[in-house]
This record gives sequence, C-alpha cells and structure tokens, in this order.
Amino acid sequence: MAPYAPVGIYLVVALAAALLFTGLPGLLGRRKPNPQKSDPYECGVEPTSALGGRFPVRFYLIAMLFVVFDVEAASFYPWAVQMHALRLFGLFEMVIFVIVLAIGYAYVWKKGGFQWR
Amino acid sequence: MSANVTNADWAAVLSIAVLGATGLAVLVADLLARTFVRRYIAIAIAMIGIIAAGAIVFAQYGTHYSAFGGAFVVDYASVLFQGIVLLGALGSVILYGAIGEERRIAGALALMLWSACGAMLMSGAGNLMTIFLGLELLSLALYALCGIAERAGAHEAALKYLILSSTATGFLLYGMGLLFGATGSVALSALSNPALATNPIFWTGVGLFFVGIAFKLSLVPFHTWAPDVYEGAPLPVTAFMSVATKAGVLAVLVRVFLWSLPSQHVSDMLLPMWIVAGISMIVGNVGMLAQRDLKRMLAYSGIAQIGYILAALAGGSAEGFNAALYYFAAYSFMNLGAFAVAAMLSGDREEGSVIANYSGLGYRRPWAALAMTVFLLAMAGLPPTAGFLGKVFILRSSVETGYVWLAALLIVGTAISLYAYGRIVRAMYDRSTHPVPAAKPFVPLAALSAAICAIAVIALTFYPFSR
Repeated sequence: MAPYAPVGIYLVVALAAALLFTGLPGLLGRRKPNPQKSDPYECGVEPTSALGGRFPVRFYLIAMLFVVFDVEAASFYPWAVQMHALRLFGLFEMVIFVIVLAIGYAYVWKKGGFQWR
Repeated sequence: MSANVTNADWAAVLSIAVLGATGLAVLVADLLARTFVRRYIAIAIAMIGIIAAGAIVFAQYGTHYSAFGGAFVVDYASVLFQGIVLLGALGSVILYGAIGEERRIAGALALMLWSACGAMLMSGAGNLMTIFLGLELLSLALYALCGIAERAGAHEAALKYLILSSTATGFLLYGMGLLFGATGSVALSALSNPALATNPIFWTGVGLFFVGIAFKLSLVPFHTWAPDVYEGAPLPVTAFMSVATKAGVLAVLVRVFLWSLPSQHVSDMLLPMWIVAGISMIVGNVGMLAQRDLKRMLAYSGIAQIGYILAALAGGSAEGFNAALYYFAAYSFMNLGAFAVAAMLSGDREEGSVIANYSGLGYRRPWAALAMTVFLLAMAGLPPTAGFLGKVFILRSSVETGYVWLAALLIVGTAISLYAYGRIVRAMYDRSTHPVPAAKPFVPLAALSAAICAIAVIALTFYPFSR
C-alpha cells in the first residue's frame, strides 16, 4: 500500500483545500446584499434576460465542432515541438491525421453543419 | 520511436486500417455520388472494404505474432474473433439496403465500420490500453449509431446506452487502474504472475473489470439496458450490436480471464463469473416469453446465449474454448439471419420487428418464413442446425470439466426457450384470421443475406471446425 500513500495524501489535501476555500468566506465574510451585487456579472452590461432560461440547441453543434478542431490544434502542438525527432514518420502520421480531419470537415460542410439555422 | 516498430507490426493491424479507410471512402463517395444511387454505392464500398479486411485477416490464419511490443496480438483467437466481427459488420451493412433514410446511410455505414475497427482492435488486444482504446472506439460510434434514426425510441435508446455504458466503462477503467497498480504494467502477460494470487487489490481490480465486461456482454445483473437499447436502435445497428460488439468483448474476456490470470485459484475466484452465466441462461430465456417485439426478444435470447458460451469457457479447457467459438459462430449466423428476415419485412417503420406481423407469414412469404424457422430452430438448439451441435459441444465440455450444474441450467434454459421460439414458428404457419398486411417491396440484399445465413446455419453442422 505504501506507493499509494502520496496519492492518499494528495486526495486529502485537495479535499481539505476545496472545503476550506468554499467554507471560509461563508463563515468569516460579512453579508450586505443589494440588487446590484446579486446581478449576474456581464462585463458591466445591464443583464437583458433571466439566466437559466432557454438557449438555442444549435449552440451544441458549434460547441461540438469547436471541440473537434480544438483537439486537432492540440495534437499539432506536440508534433510541432518534436518534429525533428519524429522525422518522416511523424510527418506521415500528421498528414494522415489531417486527411482524416479534412474529409470530416468536407462532410460536415457539405451536409450543412456550418449553416446557422 | 519509429525505429522499433517494424513493417510486420503494421501488417498486423493492416486489416483495421483498411476498414477505417473504407469508412472514409464511404463518406467521400457520399459527397460525390448522385442522390438516387447513393445508398447502393455506400453499401457496395462498405462491403468491398469489409471483404478486403476479411481476406487480410484470414491470411494471418495460423500465424502467431506479437505486434507493437505486445500491444496487439495476432493468433488463432484474434483471427477468428476478427472474422466474426467482420461477418457481423457485413451482415449488418447489407441490411441498410432495406432500411434507413437515404441521407443518413453513408454516415451510419462509416460509423459502423469504425465501430467494427474498435471491436477488431479488442479481438487482438494484448494490453489494457489497447482494450480500452478498442472499447471506446466501438462504443462511441455505437452511441451515435443508436440515435441516428428519426424515431422516438432511437433517441431514448441512444441516451440510455450512453449513460449506462459509460458507467460500466467507469467500472472497467477503475478495475484496469487497480490491475495496473497491482502489477505495475499494462501488459496482459504481467497479470499471470503467481505472486498476485494473494493480492486483494489485484482481485478487486479483476472484479471491477468483470463488472464492466459483464455489462457490455449484457450478462444478468447488468442486462437491463439490452432489451430497451436493442428495441430502440435501428435494425442494422441492433444486428451489429448483437454480433460484432459481443465478439470484441468476448475476445477480451477470453484473453484476460482465461489466458492471463495466475492459474492457481483461478477456478475458485472465477466462480462468480460462472454463476452469472448460469443466471443469465435462465433469466434470458424466461424474459423472452413475454416479448412482442422481435428485437427485444433477440436481446433476451442474446443474454441467454452468451450465458451458454460462458458455460463452455467455464472449464478453461481448449475443447471448451473451441465449443464456445463454434457456438458463437453459429450464433452470429442465426442472429444475422433473423435480423435479415426482419429487414425483408420492414420499411422505415420496421414492421418486421413486431412479432404479431409474423402470423401467417408461411403462406404470404414462404421462403422468408422457412429461413426464419431455420434461425429460430437453431436458437432453440434443435437439429439439424448448428445450434444443436454447438449445444452438444458445450454440454460435453461442461460435464467433462466438472461444471455439471451449468450443463443442467443450460438444459433447463433451453427447455424454457423452446416455448418462446416455438410460439413464433407456430404463428408463422397458423392459418387463422389475421389480417394480411400489404405486400412489401422485394429487398434483394436482405434476402440474399438471409439465404446465406440459413445455409450457413445448416452447413456448419457438417463442418464442426476445431483447432
């Protein structure tokens, strides 16, 4: 069990820290609420509608596409750093990766995934 | 980096690469093809790719190779399980000739091919990472496949499958974490260290791993998702899930539990697994009795049949393994065949999965009814079908290895199932007053698939393959 001790200590410390930082303000802080303070923060702009209302489902599509291409960028980065060590093999891997993504991109485009409906 | 990966390593996974590339080709073809031929071009490309991958897989028959430092293994089992995965993919892809919306065919086919890639990866997995990679590839594609049809039940099925399956994957991953903690290695070969047999962390990991596997195989305490998901998913996807998914997971089960665990104490520690198999046989067969939907009934049937296959594996003998493989091959043909007949009777509303629509079928569509009868008899385990011979092999191996109680449960389960299967056969040849539904268009691909499966189910009886 000895190798797991650091993991256990880490868990305990993480839990304690989280509880401490969320619990302390409630115990120590003073509360003087007013309507301005209770407003959701929107960069100083007056809130126009209630939070927690509905928002269009198309945002999910945008979010999913963002994740796909974000992951692409994230996988480019380590390759770019190690490009010389990986040599031709790495280049081929990356080209295949980009082709796969490009086909997916073309498919989504042709099927109207980028249209704002 | 690239230095210690040889060409032979790449050759070992060539079939998977071919299948993955076929998925891309299907998408590209769909973008270029004209609307009215789209469906058949997509299906043709997918079938060519699957057959090509199958040829590559069977070229590996008889070889033994450990690729990528043991991460992927080519051996007798990997070839046969991959063959069954490809068979399942082929039998399911064909069904899209009869079912599904035109504009979603290519996407569905590509997802199915990639899902099959995951199952093939699992078939030859030599370490825990490969198992997880294959499983995720398989599952992620399946979640989308389940929800791809425009039916109320499909989305429900997809969501249920996503949530429950992810939970099971969590169990599996936790088990893998503990196994890694106990052995310090992700390689399956590290699990066979005899010193582990007394390590509680190790056995906890094995147990959690089994919970994940049992869920994916829909064994009994973890089976409740299967009927709902099978019912809600589109017919080809259900066919795929019942064969290809189970092949991949079963391969992992064999590799991890039967071939990798330390050999002493294994029969004691694995007892829960065989008990689960025994309960599955009874619950699956009893559950079949009340079903009105063919896909739902086949889900329960699948629960029971996986129980039979585990019963064959229980002894851990080579003969039992062969019996399990034989029965699984027969099971694949009869399931794919039954789904093909259902597809023959279906439009997009999948009328073929409603059991009531089968009454009087023997007089409306005699050949379809004959094929369905063959498949149902095979599932019930009656001669002259491969289902009968498979059950004889399983019974022999369980009795010889001392699992007589499993053999007894198998016989009880079979007796219960006779009523459920017989009910449909009787309805098909019943000249009663049921209204005759309108004639359906002829669906050549599904009919061909049904015919081939029917012939295979009978022909396998004369070719009881073994090592």
